[in-house]
Order: sequence, then structure tokens, then C-alpha cells
Amino acid sequence: MLLDFDRLGWWRWALGGFTAAVAAFLLLPIVFIAALSFGSSQWLIFPPPSWTTRWYSELFADQRWLDAALNSLKIGLVVTVLSVVIGLAASFALVRGRFRGRETLKALFLTPMILPVVVLAVALYAFFLRLGINGTMTGFVIAHLLVALPFSILALTTALEGFDKSIEDAAILCGASPFEAKMRVTLPGISAGLFSAAIFSFLTSWDEVVLAIFMASPTLQTLPVRIWSTLRQDLTPVVASVSTLLVLVTIVLMLLVALIRKGLSKP
Amino acid sequence: MKMLLTSVASLAVLVSGAKAQESMVFTSWGGTTQDAQIEAWAEPFSSESGINVLQDGPTDYGKLKAMVEADGVSWDVVDVEGDYAIQAGEQDLLEPLDFSVIDKTDLDERFVTDHSVGSFYYSFVIGCNEGAVSECPKTWADLFDTDKFPGKRTFYKWSAPGVIEAALLADGVSPDALYPLDLDRAFAKLDTIKDDIIWWSGGAQSQQLLASAEAPFGSFWNGRLSALSESGVPVSMSWDQNITAADSLVVPKGAKNKDAAMRFIAYATSPEAQAKMAELTGYAPINTKSPELMDEDRAATLPDRQTETQVNADMAYWAKNRDAIASRWYAWQTE
Amino acid sequence: MSSLTESRSVTGRQGGRRMPRLFGEVGPALPAFLLIVFFFVAPVVALLLRSVLEPVPGLQNYETLLGSATYIGVFANTFIVSTVVTAAALAIGFPVAWALVVMPMTWSRIVFAILILSMWTNLLARTYAWMVLLQRTGLINKMLMAVGLTDEPLTLVNNLTGVTIGMTYIMLPFVILPLYGVISNIDKAVLRAAALCGANRWQALTRVLLPLAAPGMAAGGLMVFVMSLGYFVTPALLGGTSNMMLAELIAQLVQSLTDWGLGSAAAFVLLLSTLVLYGLMLKFFGTSRLGGQ
Repeated sequence: MLLDFDRLGWWRWALGGFTAAVAAFLLLPIVFIAALSFGSSQWLIFPPPSWTTRWYSELFADQRWLDAALNSLKIGLVVTVLSVVIGLAASFALVRGRFRGRETLKALFLTPMILPVVVLAVALYAFFLRLGINGTMTGFVIAHLLVALPFSILALTTALEGFDKSIEDAAILCGASPFEAKMRVTLPGISAGLFSAAIFSFLTSWDEVVLAIFMASPTLQTLPVRIWSTLRQDLTPVVASVSTLLVLVTIVLMLLVALIRKGLSKP
Repeated sequence: MKMLLTSVASLAVLVSGAKAQESMVFTSWGGTTQDAQIEAWAEPFSSESGINVLQDGPTDYGKLKAMVEADGVSWDVVDVEGDYAIQAGEQDLLEPLDFSVIDKTDLDERFVTDHSVGSFYYSFVIGCNEGAVSECPKTWADLFDTDKFPGKRTFYKWSAPGVIEAALLADGVSPDALYPLDLDRAFAKLDTIKDDIIWWSGGAQSQQLLASAEAPFGSFWNGRLSALSESGVPVSMSWDQNITAADSLVVPKGAKNKDAAMRFIAYATSPEAQAKMAELTGYAPINTKSPELMDEDRAATLPDRQTETQVNADMAYWAKNRDAIASRWYAWQTE
Repeated sequence: MSSLTESRSVTGRQGGRRMPRLFGEVGPALPAFLLIVFFFVAPVVALLLRSVLEPVPGLQNYETLLGSATYIGVFANTFIVSTVVTAAALAIGFPVAWALVVMPMTWSRIVFAILILSMWTNLLARTYAWMVLLQRTGLINKMLMAVGLTDEPLTLVNNLTGVTIGMTYIMLPFVILPLYGVISNIDKAVLRAAALCGANRWQALTRVLLPLAAPGMAAGGLMVFVMSLGYFVTPALLGGTSNMMLAELIAQLVQSLTDWGLGSAAAFVLLLSTLVLYGLMLKFFGTSRLGGQ
């Protein structure tokens, strides 16, 4: 009854109306930021006196924004590769291994996801200050890897648990080396899991701001750090245009995911 | 494992993009002020000396102290408030300045110490958005009068010269009897308007609050108001009992590029660079030779012409009592 | 490469020496393990040690923290905001998750797309939008005044109201997605049976659907609560001067005041609360429900 749409009676309108309202609430800031980015008011007055593309021209004229985006992209890609590779290895051990303490090990691997990131940020800031790698590429990669890895492990252990190992064993019986069997049988079999691991690792690094603010240096700024410091020091609507572009990136990424998922689900 | 090694190797390639060019880091408060410092100081300095000036910010005294103590100083020249410069010098956080490189003969001596020279000086003035209210407050007493001027007003958030002085002046203390500050009286006066205060933590925010009429009036750095009216916002400025304070340039102890830092400061305090900075921001130059280089119309709007009822914040007093005032200030704010 | 060739369940049966087999099984987890131990466990432990060692050994940092009204106020703010955000996210999230299960596909797909878009959009971009939307002269206040809900603008930002709105917005998908999973696994027949036994819709909701969804609500709610406790960005941008939250306090103590001892103690309090709740979650729901994917 309550789970059959047709039998909900007038409740269905209440439920549908409420959901529409929540969807509007979720969409509001995203649509608003796009509108704001075309407003002519430098002081964020909305609705604005007129419309302009001035903030986009200012954005593209400023090399520092482009540099920041490139830094984020580089860090994100390196983190994605490392996170998937290290996560995959760890997931094999967690799923296939039969040693004691497996659950504990998994819990340990997942802790960075649940631990308040500000605690990790402060701890790493102090630690990196000693190592002298605050604000370096290495520092950023390590910090982001720590928070990306749990997502990767979660996605990959789930995928491996769902993969029938006897297929891999069969390949080995047919003469493939264990490594070959994994590369040519298992990996393609869990490609959806690999793909989610990669997407989540990249997004985690690309959007990460708290660790980055603590470590930031004038020589290496990520995009979120640049947005953060611009928000704090200079409320220019250029931030709205950057944000709008980021929404576009998200939409492209979502379409990509949908397309690839579709492709993967076909045998 | 091989995959891991390849990715580590590719990481190493990405990391090694080291630059050979000499560079230094200048840290200031961000926003339009730092943009002006880039245009008036950093860019011409770079093209003259070949030294690349990297920008960082905002200035954070805690960070500065942490870097000096951990011997990991990544800033070379920092724009700080004048009273902090005196205090930090006494706390051994700063390098002594090299006055064989920096020519101090023409610098306003009020702003020169062993460890710092003035950066620019400014006034806290009363700003008002004429488009949002029918009548604008003209004096500090007006600004503290919520019956006559109902609505939100905005003040500088941090513990620094300005707001406490304004409260005392509004309460009728005469300018020559301001120091030592009567804190009890100042906080009692501030209590009367506390619920109507929106704090601004940076110049850009103060402009945004005023322009959008979040807070239609308040106390502002004069330069930010000039910038606002140039952008077309109907802003009025009252110089009545304007309270002056200065920023200073300092070099943190253990700075990596000390020589470049001294040369940068020498350039930034030169008559031309100071005149350019004043023209861009509406703040007053600290080089006494600068005003004659400036357009007279522009020079007439600077704080150094508004001396009639001007009140100078006592930097030495603040340097001495900074920490005590700060702890009381922040406790009061969170009450 | 050898680390990838673990678990010789086919070949290993003839082998049988225990250590190499064990190494083969655990070995692949080694890079992750070393990374976590060196760059996560060690720095966090070092930080916590500072809370009892600086400026002098002893518990004085904790005494300061728990003995001052200002800091107690910060803890109170944090717990109150986290509780309200959790309650609001559950109250709003449950009907939406339910609707997603029963809605026609076309509609639910659109709502899912909006959920993912909102979740994947840069956190700062979303928070920035709320900063501007919630101003006294912002769109929300203009709309409230236009429909006559209020005569003068409400103060919705730079205080805990702003933080609560912004955080509820961010947490909603983290409740809706797991709850959707739980509700869609409920057997429709159970509810039909309730109807056959004469339950009306309201009774079916309160006596059958809600109790069946309760474990999912508890897991989602606990996760949101834990995430809220340590949230930094939204409170820092939407919060005010006089009502700080715990994560901001830690950042301020360490960065602006360089009081590492006190900052570490505050971090430890946050860490401990989180781990206790995390432990509860593991105990009741296992690791499988974590992550909110």
C-alpha cells in the first residue's frame, strides 16, 4: 500500500509535492550561482541592475585561476592513480585473504573517511612542517590520498566480493599465470568498481579544501584554496563564475559516468 | 608493484618543475589593497630588479609566529598593522631592517622603527550608503545612537586600534584624554549597540556590507570607501574625528630571501611607489616626498589632509597592551 | 609485481608453508597499511601527545578546555547544531527517500540526478551561494517579505541559523541515498498484509514502514551527526563571530593563536566523540553501510 504509488491516494500528491519542494531546495543554490555570475553588481546585489559577462572575462584574464585549476587537476590525477592501485591491492587482501584481524584492518583503512578532516589537517600540518613538505605537490598528494583511499577501498572491496573467483581460478587452470588471470579476467570483471573508485578518488581530491587550506603555500594553490581565500578577502563575483564552471564540470562528469555505466552494463 | 613504481615516477616528474629565477614572497591583506600593492610596488619592482614577487595572504599573525618558531618561514615581506610591528619587533619575531638599502630620510618618522617602516596610512571614517537611508550619521556619537539611526551598523571585527577609540569618542571622551584607554567605559558603550553590529573581517566584506545595505552605515577604512564610490555606489564619508592608524612592512625572522626583501621594501617606500599606491587606494603615503608627485585633486582626498579633527591612534600604547585588550575583546564578542 | 600475486588458492594447496602464504595474503595491503600508519596514525598520535605535553606535561589543557565558559559554549554550539541538522535531514530525507522508491521511474531519475548534482558540486560553490542567498538583502529575505511572512529582513546568516541551513543542505543526500536503499529493500507484501489486516495508511506508516526503515534512519542519522561534529567550511563561512563551532576553534587555536597544546586537546575531544560514535555504528550496522555511496 504505502510502497505502491497507485494505492497511495492523496498521499501521493503530498509526497510528490514535498519531494518537488526538496528538489527545488537542492537546485536553488546551483541555479542561483549561475544567475549571480552574470549579474553586473560587483557587490552581489540580486537581482542585479543589469547582466554582463565581465566576471568571466576577468576570470580568463587571470593566470592565477588557470594555474590553480591545473594544480588541482594534476594533484587529482596522481591521487586517482595511486588511490586505485593501492586500494586495489589492499582490497584483494581484504576480500581474498583469510588472515585474522581482517575486519579490524578494514576499519583502520576506512577511518580517514570518518575522522573529522580538521583533526587530520592540523596533525598533517604539524607533521609536514617538520618534514618541510607543506604546500608541495608531494604534501598535497599524500594528504589527499589519505582521504581518497577509503572510498577506493570501499568501492573495490564491494566489487571484488561480487566477483565470482572461480572464473579467475578457471583461467589459472587453463594455464594463465595468477597475475595474468587477474589482469585479463578479474580486472575487466570489476571494471565498474574500478571506475567508481577512480571517480570518487578524483572528486575527493578535486574538491578537498580543509587539508589544502592548512598546507597552502603561495607557490602551489589548488582551486578550492584559491576560491576560499578569494571568498575571505575579496568577495568578487569572479567566484560565482568559477563556481558556475565547476557546476558545468560536474554535469559533464555525471553524463560521463552515466554513459560509461551504460556501456559497462552491456556484456 | 610495477604500476605503483610507474606512478611514483610520474609523480616525481610532476613535482620537479623547479624554477631557477630569483623570487620572494610578499604577504598582505588581499582584495583591492593587495591588488594595488601589486600594481604600484611588486610589478614595477620585478621588472626593475628581475626578482619575481609571489603573492600570499591574508596576513595572519599566528601563522607568522608559528613559521618563525618552527624555522619554516615562507614569507619575506609582510604587511602588518603598525602596533603589531612594534610588538613583534620586541618579541624578536622580525629581522632588523637594513637602512643602508632602505632610504629612510624622507619617510614619515612616526612610522619608522628598527624592524619596520610604514606601508601606508589610513583613517577609520564613518561611511554611509545614501541610497539606503534617509539620513546619514556624521559623528561617532551618531553611529552609536540606535534611536536616531536604527538598523545594522558594521565595525572592524578584530582587536585593533579603531573601534574602542570610536566608542570612547562617541561617549564624549575628548581626543586628548583617550589614552590610556578606559576599557570598561568603551565596552559599556559598545554593549548599547552590540545587537545591531555586523562585524567585517576584511575590507572587501566591509564594502559588500555597505553596498548591499546589509549594514547601511558603519566604520570603514577610508580607501575602501573611495573605491566604492568610484564603482558607482552612492557612498558618503564623514571625516569627523577620523581615527588614523598605519600599516607597516616587516621581514619575519629567518626569512629565506632577506636581501630581496630589503630591496623590495626600499622600492615600496620610494616616493614614486608610495604616490602610485596612494593614487590607487586613497590611503596616505608615508614618504613625505610623495604628495608633490600626485595629482592635486587626488591628494586632497587623502587622510593626511583631514587633520582638523583627526585623532591619531597611539601605536605605542597598543603595542604594549595588545594582548590584554585582545583577550578581553574576543571574550566580549563571544558573550 | 609479486605483491599483486597473492592468495594462491589454486596452487597454494600443495605449498603449505604458513608464513609465505600469510605474507602473500596480507602483502598487498602493505602499501595502504604503511601509508595509513606513517601519514595518518603517527601524525594524529603525535598531535594528541602535544595536548598532554605542551606547554608543560600534564592535563592542564583539558582543565582549561572544560573549565571555561567560552569553550563549553563552543561544545554546546557544536552539539546543538549537529543535533538539529541530523533531525532536519532525517525529517526531510525520509519522505524524499520514500517518494523515490514509489515514484514513476522518469520522475525519480530526475530527482536522483539533482541529488547527485548537488552532492558533487564543489562545497565552496554551494556554501558561497548560501552566503549570498541568506543575506538580509538577499533573495530569501526578499521572497519572505514579498509573500508577507515577515515584515523586516531576518538575520539568516553569520549566525547558527545560517550554519544549520547550509549544513542541512549539504547533509541531505547523505541521508536520502542510504535510506532509499533501505526502503527499496522492504518487502511490499508486508505493507499489503498490514492493509489486509485493517491498518489505515497512518497506522501502516507509523507501525510498519517507519519501524522497518528505522535501522537505516539510525545509520544515516549517526553518520550525519558525526560528519556535522567536525565540519569546518560551512560554519566558517556561514557562522558568526559569537558562535563558533569546534572545528573552527581547533583551527583558530592552532593557526592564529599557535596554542598547540590547547588546540590538540580540542582536537582530541572531537576525535574521541567521533570514534565512540563510529564504534557504535560499527557495532550495530557493520562496515557495509558506511560510505553513503
